[in-house]
Amino acid sequence: MVVVTIFSIVCLVIAWLRSRDRAGAPPSWRRRVRAMGWGLLLLPIAWIAMWLFGVNPATVGLLLLSAAVLIMAPGIAADMAAVLLILLGLYGLAAAFAVFEHRGQVAQVAKAVSVSVAPVPAGKAAFAKMAAAPPNAIVISGGQGSVTAVPRPPNGASLAPATPGPHPPNSASLAPAIPGPPKPIAVPHSPKSAALHQLYVEKITSLHQMAVPWSSPGVRPGPWYAALTGAGPQGYVPVLLAAFLFLAFGLWLVPRTLGRHYLLVSRLTNRVQRLSETRTDAVDTAAAELRRVERDLHDGAQARLVALGMSLRAAERLFATSPGAALAMIGEAREMSSRALTELRDLVRGIIPPVLADRGLADAVRALALETPLNIKLDIDLPGRLAAPVESAAYFAVAEVMANAVKHAHARTVDIHMRHDGDALRIAVTDDGVGGADPAKGSGLRGVERRLGTFDGILAVNSPPGGPTIIVIEVPCALLSLKTSSC
Amino acid sequence: MRVVVAEDLFLLRDGLVRLLEAHGFEITEAVGTGPALLQALLTHRPDVAIVDVRLPPSFTDEGLQAALAARRKVPGLPVLVLSQYVEQLYARELLADQAGGVGYLLKDRVFNDDQFVEALRAVAGGGTVMDPEVVSKLLVRRARDEPVARLSPREREVLALMAEGRSNSAIAQRLFVTEKAVSKHSTSIFAKLDLAPSDDDNRRVLAVLAYLNS
Repeated sequence: MVVVTIFSIVCLVIAWLRSRDRAGAPPSWRRRVRAMGWGLLLLPIAWIAMWLFGVNPATVGLLLLSAAVLIMAPGIAADMAAVLLILLGLYGLAAAFAVFEHRGQVAQVAKAVSVSVAPVPAGKAAFAKMAAAPPNAIVISGGQGSVTAVPRPPNGASLAPATPGPHPPNSASLAPAIPGPPKPIAVPHSPKSAALHQLYVEKITSLHQMAVPWSSPGVRPGPWYAALTGAGPQGYVPVLLAAFLFLAFGLWLVPRTLGRHYLLVSRLTNRVQRLSETRTDAVDTAAAELRRVERDLHDGAQARLVALGMSLRAAERLFATSPGAALAMIGEAREMSSRALTELRDLVRGIIPPVLADRGLADAVRALALETPLNIKLDIDLPGRLAAPVESAAYFAVAEVMANAVKHAHARTVDIHMRHDGDALRIAVTDDGVGGADPAKGSGLRGVERRLGTFDGILAVNSPPGGPTIIVIEVPCALLSLKTSSC
Repeated sequence: MRVVVAEDLFLLRDGLVRLLEAHGFEITEAVGTGPALLQALLTHRPDVAIVDVRLPPSFTDEGLQAALAARRKVPGLPVLVLSQYVEQLYARELLADQAGGVGYLLKDRVFNDDQFVEALRAVAGGGTVMDPEVVSKLLVRRARDEPVARLSPREREVLALMAEGRSNSAIAQRLFVTEKAVSKHSTSIFAKLDLAPSDDDNRRVLAVLAYLNS
């Protein structure tokens, strides 16, 4: 038992230190306890089980398992604690029922709660005292782990051993004091009362083992007596109470451990599903975007450069014969290069607008407002930059919403509010147009919704027919830095 | 005329330097980064600077920021900003101090070296030169507004050319009309837009741009 207790303490310390690692650098009391949570209960529970059922391979195994789980996975330890408490409670209920059922045999069955352990020769006094009191039964541990139950002696009969001395009395040495031959009384061992047997008989065995190392100074460890006195026909009541206590505590823990973990698992499942969806969207969008860029380059700038090369070659050939025509051709080539540049510029603007790359979202939206033929009121409070992909998604969302305000809603005035509240970017765009915008109908807003979805962002549209249209965009994100630009 | 050139791409910087030298400009320094540009502007105080918006080390609007910072220290320091793209926001920031001596052109305008050099000289002289793309966007934005809508198509053409920073004679040449006709149009435009008439070219450009930018 010493070994077991020391082992438990060592495990607790290891779990404690590990909890500090998991919680990060500042290891405050509260954080450590929170990190381990109800899992901390597991070791005491395993210990109680060992106390109840004695030191045997099953209980030692349970303790080792508990320690391992507590160290490796405090979350699962909490779940185990709840389950074990309920099992203990159920076991106690069964035991209480068994006691209740055997209440007619109380004289034979020790089933009480008070336990006294006394060394020889104090045992004598204890036994004498017990003889005076009306115990229902006495169970004596023989000192070698054997257990003998002795029936209550008739009134007045002495239970004092016939041969008191340094040797421990065993059932045989007690015999002369008891009328009739010493007769070990079998503790009922029917399947129904198996629990009872374990609850009492094995408990005494383990009590005996426990008592030895804690003998008071001067008393040498040696054979001990353990006496269990009956508590009468109502002996099942405390057992029942304890059982209910365990059961109630276990059930109370269920929503706090198993229940929470179940919810967590279902939430994570949903999250994974949502992430797979948005990832597919993001991959599709990126592929489509690349395809568009490739097509634009192929049909635009690339074709113009080919034509440019051909014009220059033609000019080269014409140069000797008709320099005038060659000159005209070179002028044409210059025009062509200009147009190629314009196309490339538009393409780049569609990928990432220069102001967005240079200065971030706030100025990009300001620039957008300058280029939109609407009366635009801006209220922007964005004290830093955001992650580039979020900026880009938010910018194109605002651009799409504003394009809709011009094209479909025929708005004259647009209000844009944009701020970051520490957790999320919030943009509200209100226009005084004809309303009736619906992401389900147009592909534009639907595309914006999908693009924002990649960042767990949302797009809320309130656009009754007749207007006004209010569109709110919310993207959870962190501010990266405070502005460092010189203006 | 002393010029500072800021451009990070070696080929372009070299091309610009050759082009300017061919037109008789003296290149004081050709730099490739934002901090070096600011340093050069403040030490040399050139007659005009040619500045690329995007410069290292950050490859954002570092050139523009350096130019604006230099102009805050030396008001009216002539700067011609060149860029692969033109942005209203940047044009507005360049014009904000109303000091003149500012140009903002697309890089491809360099192809037409005569016009480019003319623009550079105008900026050095305290004039304001805006890329036609900037002006056309400004006009598109204001097209629905009452006073601009009242202008005749010809007047709008003249307004656009005025906003680009061209003088009356240049506008007349471009539109194949007499200078007198241009000045008549300009008076009418100023009346319709309710602006105080001005004979001074620089002040006229600033007034028109301020109006369009408002």
